[in-house]
Amino acid sequence: VRFLPAPGRDCATELVPTMVPVLAEHPLVRGPRFRRLKIGAGHRLDVKASGVFVLGISHGNKLLTDLYNCHLSRAYTVGGLFGKATDDFSDTGKLVEKTTFDHITREKLERVLAVIQGTNHKALLMHSNIDMKTQEAYELAVRGLIRPMGKSPPIITAVRCLQFAPPEFQLEIHCLHETQQYLRKIVHEIGLELKSSAVCTQVRRTRDGVFTLDDALLRSQWNLQNIRSAIWSCQLKVQAEIERTL
Amino acid sequence: ALRGALRGARPLPVPRRGLAKPAAPQSVRPLREAEEAAPVFQYAGKAAKRKDRVFVWGFCYSGALGIPSFVKPDAGWKRPRRIQATPYRLETEEKISSAACGYGFTLLSSRTTDITKVWGMGLNKDSQLGFQRSRRDRTKGYEYILEPSPVPLPLEKPQQTRVLQVSCGRAHSLILTDSEGVFTMGNNSYGQCGRKVVEDETYSESHVIHQLKDFDSRVVQVVCGQDHSLFRTQKGTVYACGWGADGQTGLGHYNITSVPTKLRGDIAGVNIVQVSSYGDCCLAVSDEGDVFGWGNSEYLQLASVTETTQVNVPKHLPFKIGKIKEAACGGTGNVVLTEEGNVFVWGYGILGKGPNLIETAVPEMIPPSLFGWSDFNPDIRVAHVRCGLSHFAALTNRGELFVWGKNLRGCLGTGRMEDHYFPWRVTVPGEVVDVACGVDHMVSMVKSF
Repeated sequence: VRFLPAPGRDCATELVPTMVPVLAEHPLVRGPRFRRLKIGAGHRLDVKASGVFVLGISHGNKLLTDLYNCHLSRAYTVGGLFGKATDDFSDTGKLVEKTTFDHITREKLERVLAVIQGTNHKALLMHSNIDMKTQEAYELAVRGLIRPMGKSPPIITAVRCLQFAPPEFQLEIHCLHETQQYLRKIVHEIGLELKSSAVCTQVRRTRDGVFTLDDALLRSQWNLQNIRSAIWSCQLKVQAEIERTL
Repeated sequence: ALRGALRGARPLPVPRRGLAKPAAPQSVRPLREAEEAAPVFQYAGKAAKRKDRVFVWGFCYSGALGIPSFVKPDAGWKRPRRIQATPYRLETEEKISSAACGYGFTLLSSRTTDITKVWGMGLNKDSQLGFQRSRRDRTKGYEYILEPSPVPLPLEKPQQTRVLQVSCGRAHSLILTDSEGVFTMGNNSYGQCGRKVVEDETYSESHVIHQLKDFDSRVVQVVCGQDHSLFRTQKGTVYACGWGADGQTGLGHYNITSVPTKLRGDIAGVNIVQVSSYGDCCLAVSDEGDVFGWGNSEYLQLASVTETTQVNVPKHLPFKIGKIKEAACGGTGNVVLTEEGNVFVWGYGILGKGPNLIETAVPEMIPPSLFGWSDFNPDIRVAHVRCGLSHFAALTNRGELFVWGKNLRGCLGTGRMEDHYFPWRVTVPGEVVDVACGVDHMVSMVKSF
């Protein structure tokens, strides 16, 4: 059953329920009848952000829980704008304050990003709940594999400035257990630290664990063949990651 | 009159209560116009200078941190603070260019041409901070100095001479000036101040400050060991005086020297560019990247060249780790920094490679990934290394401070009381320019953002 505009009229403003022929009704088609699909969602992506969003279909929902327990990091491209401060840290919010930003240089921004990385690296080691006095902790720290395997506050593992053209700038942030609003708050705090103010214009997730932009399907590619090939290509990666961590 | 005119022009407005504006959906244009009309605040000018700050942390009861409220709180109900575990800002009047931590006291110096160039705080039982006249009794001096107090120096031209560097040992201190030689004060029971040892001399409340001027050329670096002093001149020669029972004076004998004497051995004729010492072992780096060592070797510091536990003549340490840029000596362990930016440690104690590495005679490299190096930041390099008595510090070129070693009374400054077996970041609000390590406290000079 589909709701289609009434046929025959030019300016159709009513929708009329009509029975449309469906492939599943054909007598030669075999196999189970799918009336519903259980689709589970991966890590949250809020309305104002965009990017990679992982979905699991029926049996894949169990893999979603396993992936959640792996506590892998996610990569975002965050765009910001100096000179404004708003109440919800993004450029669509109510204006709180306007400041000058001509004193900001790329060097100062890099310094602030280095400090953010340093404090978050320390938080990474502290929340990982490993006893720092053991030799295994030292080995993991050398390889950079220490990360919290349980609940923890949002931690940024790496920040890098991709573009800097005042008043706009773009950062690449790799983080754990975060929300997009936390990233916007970080942009606001970077502005405060540089004695100015900043709002976040764009949050785009470029990687979610093992899923990158190349694996992601655009809205125009949401059909059965593409979905099947995407699942097929990601299966190996997901298996390998789960076996490695658990 | 205006009101009457308006009344004639429009119908009477409906009486409203509460909100001045109707609750209609806000259209974009008036909002944008309001935004454009908003005032712009300026918090920092375009040529805003970065301020220089001093941060201290560690054991407070000796007064070495320079904050009186830690030892004697302002209000009666507050308790004195024993340990300051995280960096705390110390307010200073001038920009501090050099700092040194001794065993329970600190000296700060500035390159100013004002009368007051050096400030001292902490233990003063041997007048290692000069004579600090007590305010209650004009004939007596203070034993503990709780805040940075000026150290009076007998300079000939006080408004022209600049103090270049200070250094502190167990109970004595050295101050290097640019044109008036080296000033020494404090305990001289082993001749470490460079003057003749006087029997039964009382060092507390003493006004004696000795001036050392006769070296073969201008002195450019002074270093204090536990009870001995080392002087490095512009020509690349090293002089030493003080206690020598472990051979730390490097003069070929195990006696006390009370006059600075030139060192020979493997150093004779070599242009030395850096000397370092804190305990009873000494290291010197030449301009070609070789390292020489002498002094105490009980903890395998010099075991790569000799089996004896005391070496009283400088010996070349043939390490194949590359050209060495900087060396630092601690009580039981040593650390060097090579030209590529790698850090090598050897000796005894918590060396920084996990709890399994307790002692080694051959230098072991600490992996650069522990200092923040990764594929994301491939150009992080260690720029300086420093040593306290049982802990180490490293500064990167991004201005981050990493510490590791035994956490004696909170000297590491990480906020935790436990020892750190591999390099751990210290969160300092600023870019760390230099750091001085003591026995149980540390001082850092930081540039604000």
